[in-house]
Amino acid sequence: MNVLILKHEITLLLLALGVMLADLWLPPERKRGLGYLASAGVGAILICSLLTSVPESPFAFRQMYVLDGMALFFKRFFLVATILVLLMAVEFSDRIQAGISEYYSLILFASAGMMFAASANDFALLFVALELITVTFYVLVSFQRGRATSLEAGVKYLIIGALSSAFMVFGIAFIFGTSGSFNFGDIAAKLASPEAGLVNNKLFLFGLLFLLVGLGFKIAAVPFQIWAPDVYQGAPTPTTAFLAVGSKAAGMVLLMRVLFVAVPEVTAQWWKLLVVISALTILYGNLCALPQTNIKRLLGYSSISHAGYLLLGIAAATTAGQSAVLYYLSGYLFTVLAAFVVIVLVLRDTGAEEISSLAGLHQRSPLLAAAMTISMVSLAGIPPLAGFFGKLLLIKSALVVGAEHQSFYWLVGIAVVGVVISLAYYLGVVRAIYWGGEAAEKSAVTLSLPATLTVAACLVGILFIGIYPNPLMKAAEAAVLSFK
Amino acid sequence: MENAQAYLFYVFAALAVICAIMVVANPFSRSPVTSAMFLVLTMGCLAGLFTLLHAFFLAAVQILVYAGAVMVLFLFVIMLLDLKEEQRRQVKSLSLVAGLVSVGAILAIFVRSLIATKPGEGALANVEGSTSKLGKLLFTQYLLPFEIVSVLLLVAMVGVVLLSKKDLK
Repeated sequence: MNVLILKHEITLLLLALGVMLADLWLPPERKRGLGYLASAGVGAILICSLLTSVPESPFAFRQMYVLDGMALFFKRFFLVATILVLLMAVEFSDRIQAGISEYYSLILFASAGMMFAASANDFALLFVALELITVTFYVLVSFQRGRATSLEAGVKYLIIGALSSAFMVFGIAFIFGTSGSFNFGDIAAKLASPEAGLVNNKLFLFGLLFLLVGLGFKIAAVPFQIWAPDVYQGAPTPTTAFLAVGSKAAGMVLLMRVLFVAVPEVTAQWWKLLVVISALTILYGNLCALPQTNIKRLLGYSSISHAGYLLLGIAAATTAGQSAVLYYLSGYLFTVLAAFVVIVLVLRDTGAEEISSLAGLHQRSPLLAAAMTISMVSLAGIPPLAGFFGKLLLIKSALVVGAEHQSFYWLVGIAVVGVVISLAYYLGVVRAIYWGGEAAEKSAVTLSLPATLTVAACLVGILFIGIYPNPLMKAAEAAVLSFK
Repeated sequence: MENAQAYLFYVFAALAVICAIMVVANPFSRSPVTSAMFLVLTMGCLAGLFTLLHAFFLAAVQILVYAGAVMVLFLFVIMLLDLKEEQRRQVKSLSLVAGLVSVGAILAIFVRSLIATKPGEGALANVEGSTSKLGKLLFTQYLLPFEIVSVLLLVAMVGVVLLSKKDLK
């Protein structure tokens, strides 16, 4: 067995431990800079992962861990997200009273959990990786313990997260009890052989349903979305950003692996369930986002609606749908992180998180105003930005399936209605920036060089993915092939 | 012998369900301490079920860790907090209805799928419960999750220290 196959995760964990140890010897005023070191380290791991190709025998630990194209794609995704979130955390560090080094290292630990999730080929590893992510986020969410809202968010996330974990473990127990295995490959083989009769075993399906509850909680799909707005609003902003991108993507990759690798036969039967959940999620997220005045809460609801769009591609259950999900997630990564970086930078002084406090931003900092505008426009799905192509690919994949199942046309209709509704609140943010009246705070926003680079990186990402979609589309298609 | 096992299973299972109901919906007392005590009984019944499955190590851990350590912690917290208000709190009828409906729905799905399944259908997992077998499994088959759990515990420890430290420095 080749342990080196886990080199990315192991180095990431070592980096996290190193950051935690470095805290012992660093004088307090220099601890803030540790974030730069951590993100540089993650950058090195990212370069290493870019140089890695899929090994000949992708499995390790008795087929529990797999490093296929899909896993590699998501590992790079999580590493990019971690770098940007760490840089964001450095800018945020003045609002964290104590333990900034622990904040950095917890982000790294959560990222390691996501990397394991990307490679999970076994229900035991799936559960442990998800718990590592979730437990880390309990702490990250309630990190500003001086603020009541942060603690409230932490408690809510803890209670609902523990409940959904309980559901998931219950489901996994049934899956193990009926199929006799944790391994995705073994379960798929049992499902495929008709004499085992697993496809019609209702207890197996019951277990699978409960597993979906747990994953639905991670991606904040209806009806497990209830925590998202409160937690997004209360958590420290870098945590919210990581929750929106990393945690959701970890849920998506596990969902895809379970549905398309472990139980493809059941997925073929359950498309109706996925269609209904997708439609409800899109509608709920978009309609509830309309009256929001708090920008983080708005993004919380918007993230629910994006989970709905992503489920649309999963419900289609085709390779086109799957690669569209990967493309959409990549676009979403840069777009949402751009929005959160701007929130961190602009709302530093005021402390308020109302949309109206963005007023006059174009006078205070044209770069940040442009970044926020582009991010909102991309989230809404206006060409030629990343969000547009993602939605286009998802809808196209659903339309192809629509020839077979009529209800996909309805789902596409609902998705389009959702996009139209979302235009109202996304453009509302843009209006608040440019036409929101006089700024209460006139001084220009001071940007450090790393902060400018972070914003620029997000912007380049959004524009590049939108204008040259081909490289990413090729990468996504190649990654999806590993499911064949 | 087989019969005795079956009877014991039913006794433990029924007791576990009854005690679990008493934890959340005790008609005689609203005291959190009573709930906690019933939780101990539930854990004890679960340990009995584990024993019947020849999972002796799990049964012992269930008693030592859950019924012992975790519950003592629970009781400490209950006694340190003033929970008089909790006892007076009225359950809102809307949340009661919502809770009953969702529990009923889950129960309905569960019972229906249980009825639809023939007993013994599906592969029975080959489970070994003795301590040495479990140890071997943890360090061979499940080595990776086992190691990740150690990271998880580290994270939990760091989190607890950070969130409960007295002075924020």
